Amino acid sequence: MVWLTALLQLWLLGACGSQIAATTTATPITLYTCVNDTTIQPVIQKFEAGHAGVKVDLFRAPTGQLNARVASDVRSGGLKADVIWACDPLTMQDYVAQGLVGGWTPQTDIPATVCTPDYVGVAVLYMVAVTRTGHQAPATWTDLSRAGKVAVPDPNVAASALGALGYFGPDFYANLKAKGAAQVSTPDDVTTGVAQGIYDAGMTIANSAYAAQKSGSPVTVSWPKPGAVAIYGPIALSKTTKNSGPAQDFVSFVASRDGQALVGSSGSYPTLPGVASPTKPEDTPTVNPDWKALANQKATLLRDYAKIFGG
Amino acid sequence: MADVLQLRDLSLAYATTLALDSVNLTVAEGEVLALLGPSGSGKSTLLNAIAGFLPLRSGEIFLRQRRVATAGSAEPPEKREIALVFQDYGLWPHLTALDTVAYPLRRRGVRRDLARSQAQQLLDRLGVGQLAGRKPAQLSGGEQQRVGLARAMARQAALYLFDEPTAHLDAQVRDVFLAELAARRRELGAAAVYATHDAAEALGLADRVALLVDGRLIQVGTPQEVYAQPVNMAAARLTGPVSLLAGSDVSVLIRPDWAKLGGDRTGIVADVWFRGSHTDYVLDTPDGQLQLRAAGLPAHGRGEAVSWSLDHSWTLPGD
Amino acid sequence: MRSGLARSALALLLACVTAVVVVPMLVLLRTSWIEGRGRLAEVITDPDFRSAVANSFGLSAAVTGLAVPVGVAIALALRDPRLPGRNFWRAAVLLPVLVPDFVLAYSWLRAYARAGLTSEAFGFAWPQVQGPVGVTVIVASQAVPLVYLITAVGLSTRAEPTTERAARASGARPLTVLTTVTLPLLGPAIATAAVLIFVLTLGTFAVPQVIGSPAGFRTITTLIYADLALGSDPQSFVEAITLAVLLVVITVIVVAPADRLLGERLSLSRTPARDSDWGTGSHATRIVVPIVLALYLIFTCGLPLLALVSAAFTRAVGIPLSPENWTLDNFLAVLTPRTGQALGRSLLLAVAAGSILLVLGGCTAALSRTRSGRAVSVLVALTLVLPGSVLAIGLLIGYGRWLADTVLIILLAYLAKLWALAHRPISAAVDRLAPAGLQAARASGADLPTALATVVVPLLRPALIAAWGLCFLTALHEVTMSSLLYGPGTETLAVVVLNSADLGRIGVTAALSVLVTVVVVVPGGALWMLGRRSRHG
Repeated sequence: MVWLTALLQLWLLGACGSQIAATTTATPITLYTCVNDTTIQPVIQKFEAGHAGVKVDLFRAPTGQLNARVASDVRSGGLKADVIWACDPLTMQDYVAQGLVGGWTPQTDIPATVCTPDYVGVAVLYMVAVTRTGHQAPATWTDLSRAGKVAVPDPNVAASALGALGYFGPDFYANLKAKGAAQVSTPDDVTTGVAQGIYDAGMTIANSAYAAQKSGSPVTVSWPKPGAVAIYGPIALSKTTKNSGPAQDFVSFVASRDGQALVGSSGSYPTLPGVASPTKPEDTPTVNPDWKALANQKATLLRDYAKIFGG
Repeated sequence: MADVLQLRDLSLAYATTLALDSVNLTVAEGEVLALLGPSGSGKSTLLNAIAGFLPLRSGEIFLRQRRVATAGSAEPPEKREIALVFQDYGLWPHLTALDTVAYPLRRRGVRRDLARSQAQQLLDRLGVGQLAGRKPAQLSGGEQQRVGLARAMARQAALYLFDEPTAHLDAQVRDVFLAELAARRRELGAAAVYATHDAAEALGLADRVALLVDGRLIQVGTPQEVYAQPVNMAAARLTGPVSLLAGSDVSVLIRPDWAKLGGDRTGIVADVWFRGSHTDYVLDTPDGQLQLRAAGLPAHGRGEAVSWSLDHSWTLPGD
Repeated sequence: MRSGLARSALALLLACVTAVVVVPMLVLLRTSWIEGRGRLAEVITDPDFRSAVANSFGLSAAVTGLAVPVGVAIALALRDPRLPGRNFWRAAVLLPVLVPDFVLAYSWLRAYARAGLTSEAFGFAWPQVQGPVGVTVIVASQAVPLVYLITAVGLSTRAEPTTERAARASGARPLTVLTTVTLPLLGPAIATAAVLIFVLTLGTFAVPQVIGSPAGFRTITTLIYADLALGSDPQSFVEAITLAVLLVVITVIVVAPADRLLGERLSLSRTPARDSDWGTGSHATRIVVPIVLALYLIFTCGLPLLALVSAAFTRAVGIPLSPENWTLDNFLAVLTPRTGQALGRSLLLAVAAGSILLVLGGCTAALSRTRSGRAVSVLVALTLVLPGSVLAIGLLIGYGRWLADTVLIILLAYLAKLWALAHRPISAAVDRLAPAGLQAARASGADLPTALATVVVPLLRPALIAAWGLCFLTALHEVTMSSLLYGPGTETLAVVVLNSADLGRIGVTAALSVLVTVVVVVPGGALWMLGRRSRHG
């Protein structure tokens, strides 16, 4: 009996899965991304609404899973995605270096500082400082070491943290550690830890910090000088896509005014200037790590970092 | 002679069912008391209560004139001077026969090598000395039961409790075991309570027999008493084959060996059983069915009319 | 028992183990060898790797050394039929497995770290929770219910009240009985539990990741995660796979002989023990044991669960727990059709996985004395320890061409990962089938499958229920593999969890885990009550 039930369940599940794929008329385009769900869903819906008959098949997962998926695809018949939207330039640079994506970018007004011939930056993460109410929020990044018990995210698991490491250099972190700072896992863990009161201040991404503040957690957000570290998320077209028309349409859409407005209104920072955007205080400077140099220095940087915070 | 065991108004219950009801019993030094009863009558329960594994609902247990259990308190089994021999042997799968028998000695603080040599002696006396290095899985039923007996002897207890020890042994092995038991008993002189459902075993082994039915003791007496003078039909059936014949105004109880062939009464042979040394007949008589035992080979066949007479009979009290 | 049934069971076992274990393992070995052998020496001699190996094995040893005695002690303590509230305790000790590991670390931190519940209520915190000690205790608290289940199963089918009574009648005090008779006879069950916990802990990831990193306590699994997180370049990716393969190799070297050496197979007569057969213990133990159990449960379950539930009902992190901050918004955010579909799919998958694994685990346990059975047992321990992401990668590379984006590939991942979890409780119950009972059934006219179903299965019921329950819950809570293997139309709970976690919304994640727990406990509790009523009525 157990046999039959199990087989029946298997068959049903298999049937359900394939049925959904069978209802679309045109070939769907496959999107791999690590952008958060609240941003990607409206973008997909608006795109599908404006392009009748084209469906977007989404695979969304944190960067680690994204990398694993891409690498597995490569070793089992080729990349299945038509479009990849990453969350940091380093990841995308590696994909380009492997010849998986690139070669085409859409016409767009997005600043050239976040574009290359192979990809276009369409969303930005900013590393800012989050402080528990009652503690002095740092005005500059060097103030962070005087902010009490501080938490920083782990550059081994979060590209945003790696970007910050690339920009500040290991000495900055050595200084923090000397004053008693702790390293947690992701920027979200920093925000949660500071909101809970385990830590007094920390470095995290702006979306996370503002979300916590909005929901009522006792935190303040500051954009310390010389500037918030900007990590932009590029989108690129797969080199082996069999669906280049709709895929190019999607990339163009995300880079267009409409697409960027959606990105901005759903809680992420757009790269196109003059579009609706989440909280960004007036004339706050931002700084950009040198991503190309960072790609080469990654191993050395992480090794130096491990000497500070490692086991 | 002093009493080794005294039970006063012992009652015991499992959840809501009464397993033992006001049991009164004594066992004197050197005496073997057979506890005879059908399955479910409470024999194991009574032994476990005496050993200290079950709490009492009411009553008292005295061992060697010392009170060891009441409804509220009970001395733990390891402190009582009892030894148990189990129906399913109760050997430890991970210990050899030698270590098993040495176990009670070790608990008394005897040094390991001394305990082992004493254990070897006990095994030798029981004729299983050469099996000392084997584990239970490598022993037959009879051998396991003798190891169990050796272990009980190693305890040097004042009272031995036997819980249907021959239930799982075949006939020849059983006879060997009982012979060993009798030999040891003469040696040790300890008291024993021997639970069984087999009447022949009980009558042969015991100094006194106690009949237990549904948790109550219905009769206690010498083997001859309970065989020849049972207090009621239940007691009669427990202690051997029995027939009930209608008399003038009372029913009479007849054991097969109290009737003989030849005489002034008549019956028809309903069944014939040749037992080797004797023959059992089942006769249909006007007063009821009768079981009759006669020495020798079968002399009559089924359906034959025979004459028979009574040497002896017993009228149940209270009839 | 070289019957037709045994032969087909073996064939089934070998086919399945090849499909779900051997294929992904070979794929991973191949990838690691072809692309990574040049750097193999570098990887092995890296001091980070060596300290991670030391940390992983140290953690496994510590967790096993802590969880096994506690689990066995609980199983023995709950044998006493006169223990007050015994049925409650038997259920309560299983509470830790209801908390999914994606919220486990957070719950403990919220309960015990600086500015946590204990700090708010009593003014003291337990700072070591954020370090190796904390990781050990938390992982051990999740392992104790497993040890308890396997030991309890072993007690119910292997233990013999007569042997214990014989020991007491031979003059042994209760403690001596424990050490000379009970524990040696429980040996096989305890050994199989210990090996399981050791191997499970080697592959554990969520807690060391969240709690270990602040303390710089890296394990092999967190190293692999780090490699994958930055694994957009082939070198990091292959290094992750190489590390995983090395972990598996080391595990085999340690575990395969352990399974052989520990737990001598002892044959026992199989008279099932009744509750009334067990000693009742003294008055003192009946008062002390419930108190100790209560304290233990409050520490390991009560406070962390309270922290979790309070996070689910609170508007934001960090504000006081007073009623004006209570809200249902987190639950409303979670109760969407999409969540419902994902949850439904996860439940279906977990039920399917549990049921199939019961068959596979049962066959493995039944054939565990044969050479092929032992080989299967070792093979499935490999996928148990293999970190989920890497196992998923192996399945993707091996089957991605045909099975990508199907539910089947997720199911295969569950089967591969949880197989060992299914067969160990069952082998703890019985190491071979009792021939007498089977022969009696067949002499009464039953064919072998019916005989197995009517004679063997009822005896094994506690083990089977334990195995199914463990697999069901672990499959339901599984996040790493499902989030990598899913596709459009096959979203599972994992995706919903990661979506909310990615936005840092711990309240929503907590609400999700509360929802999942309710969805499991309510029908489970109803079934259990019905089962008890049918047995008594």
